[in-house]
Amino acid sequence: MSIFDLGERFLEFLTKVNVGDFRLAEDLPDVDKYDIAIVEGTPITKQNVKRLKEVRKKSKILVTIGACATMGGVQEIKDYRGDKKKLIRTIYPNIRGIDNPNIKSVKEIVKVDLEIPGCPINKEEFFRLINQVLKGTIPEIPQNPVCDECIRRNKNCLILLGKPCLGAISLAGCGAPCPAAGFLCDGCRGPRKGINLEAMKSALKIKARLSEDEIKNLLERFGKLNELYANKN
Amino acid sequence: MRIRIDHIAKIEGHASFTADIVRGDIKAAKIKIEEGARLFEGIMRDRKDVEIAELGSRICGVCSVVHTFAGFKALEDAYRIKVEEPALSLRKLMMLGQLINSHSLHLFFFSLSDFFGFKSDLELINAYPEKTHDAIKIRDVGNKIVEIIGGRTVHPLTPCIGGLRQAPDSEKLKKLFDDCRNILPLSIKLAELFANLNYPDFIRKTHFVSLTSYSEYAIYGGKLKVNGMELEPKEFLSRIKEFQAKDKVAKRTHFEDKSYMVGALARLNNNRDRLNLEAGKLLEKSRLRFPCYNPFYNILAQAIEIIHCLEESIKILEKIITQPIKVGEASIAERNGQGVGAIEAPRGTLFYDIKVKNGITESVNIITPTAQNLANLEDDLEEFEKLGGFKDLNQKEREDKIKMLIRAYDPCVTCSVH
Repeated sequence: MSIFDLGERFLEFLTKVNVGDFRLAEDLPDVDKYDIAIVEGTPITKQNVKRLKEVRKKSKILVTIGACATMGGVQEIKDYRGDKKKLIRTIYPNIRGIDNPNIKSVKEIVKVDLEIPGCPINKEEFFRLINQVLKGTIPEIPQNPVCDECIRRNKNCLILLGKPCLGAISLAGCGAPCPAAGFLCDGCRGPRKGINLEAMKSALKIKARLSEDEIKNLLERFGKLNELYANKN
Repeated sequence: MRIRIDHIAKIEGHASFTADIVRGDIKAAKIKIEEGARLFEGIMRDRKDVEIAELGSRICGVCSVVHTFAGFKALEDAYRIKVEEPALSLRKLMMLGQLINSHSLHLFFFSLSDFFGFKSDLELINAYPEKTHDAIKIRDVGNKIVEIIGGRTVHPLTPCIGGLRQAPDSEKLKKLFDDCRNILPLSIKLAELFANLNYPDFIRKTHFVSLTSYSEYAIYGGKLKVNGMELEPKEFLSRIKEFQAKDKVAKRTHFEDKSYMVGALARLNNNRDRLNLEAGKLLEKSRLRFPCYNPFYNILAQAIEIIHCLEESIKILEKIITQPIKVGEASIAERNGQGVGAIEAPRGTLFYDIKVKNGITESVNIITPTAQNLANLEDDLEEFEKLGGFKDLNQKEREDKIKMLIRAYDPCVTCSVH
């Protein structure tokens, strides 16, 4: 959706590329080869996984966009709960034929060349990065915290005000719209590399007075729990 | 003869369709949703109440504003909290922005190609460059409304229990007022284009369900209008039956054992006398006659709603920009109760039915517009041989018309599986 939101720039972008398979905008058969494949969403059904593997084989470069493709998305919370088989029965009377596997991000299934994170993605960042990919380079997102972008927009630090915020451990590149709107950074872009998770947890506990459960819930959002433990020092 | 459409393009999410044609009669028309279970109603449990709205927004990127508000409205209903002005008007504005951006996307990029036989929007864009730019400009204004008030275009940040946590920049609102006024003539031109298209001839009587209100064309709130009755959202929910067929990941709903239609056409059928001036004029000039039982006209109904939404935005903004805006969070004495939030999403009425104990969510039931429309759409397809000229169409043409009808409903498959 954020790509459509680029508006006029999206139209101009379309003149520079040949679109192979874009279901949201066309009803044509698939093509044999892709230079660049852009994948969004979490592969859940067997069909999703099969299609993802096919697309990987056909593509030179595979880019994931959004928190679902990059980290698993909020639906990964059902795995953290540990009761998803019971949970599905409380929602569906007939569970036969409904795929309910463990949620996996795209990189757990195929090789990914570039991840553009966020829920939603930052369309400006997407546009800049994808144009670099078109020119033949695979860009790297600098491993800075959201705080770096937040202090340029906001007078107040939420943590210092005694409110929860994950800005310190979260990857910048969004432009910090959340704290600017008085909303905590809930880490939709995932953790940056080399974080001190324990320091973040104690800040949430001492400064923002969150309970263990509240901290856990916050760290689970967007399926980032696994990533947090992988990215620790 | 069997009809099988494996991937229905240009809808939000993945779905396929199968049916049999027995002696010219369509049998066993079924839409299959090709999505896995995300269990949103399950993951919201045992977490903080506000996460109903914050996680609910992630059900769908197209209509994140309506999911956010349906969640907060349900919480406000449970806690008996009333949203006061100007927060109420600002929320309504965001809803208008949401309808404008979603409708303009569906109308121009998902539906219009069907009328010309284009298989790709790129063909459409090349054939109608000026109209494409108009559609994008209209959509941009819808997005701007959401961004300026909500903090960003997708998954809004400012809504909270009781209203909005932060007021929008008044200079930006003034600019928005001008943008809406400037774009209104373009929206009328776009709707004229849709009024002059040839719609397939297909009629099947059904029931129309939407919110209704005496004071305005209901989008943000009101009672449920169905079969001449007006019901409180809670009562309506107690009278519908949500059911799940075997092997189906999306549920369907019936009201009094019958399918019903929600969305722009249902709203026009129920509330057209409350449309704003220019929208009403266009409706008058169009070929639409009421009650209108041709679901293909849902497309034209959306085009008319865009005009209405821009006029309504202008009305609200005109009032709001002359006064200082004060908003804030409500203080909540007790976070206990059961509540229902009902709201008109672009595709029809969306319900959140929730139960909270000590600020922690106990249960959530979400009924999306597409889940409600699926039964009605399948009933339409079951009688699709009544389509004007159906006998003379070849297999390929029949498939194209079926896809066109499915797209006319503007289904959000992603939402229907939540």
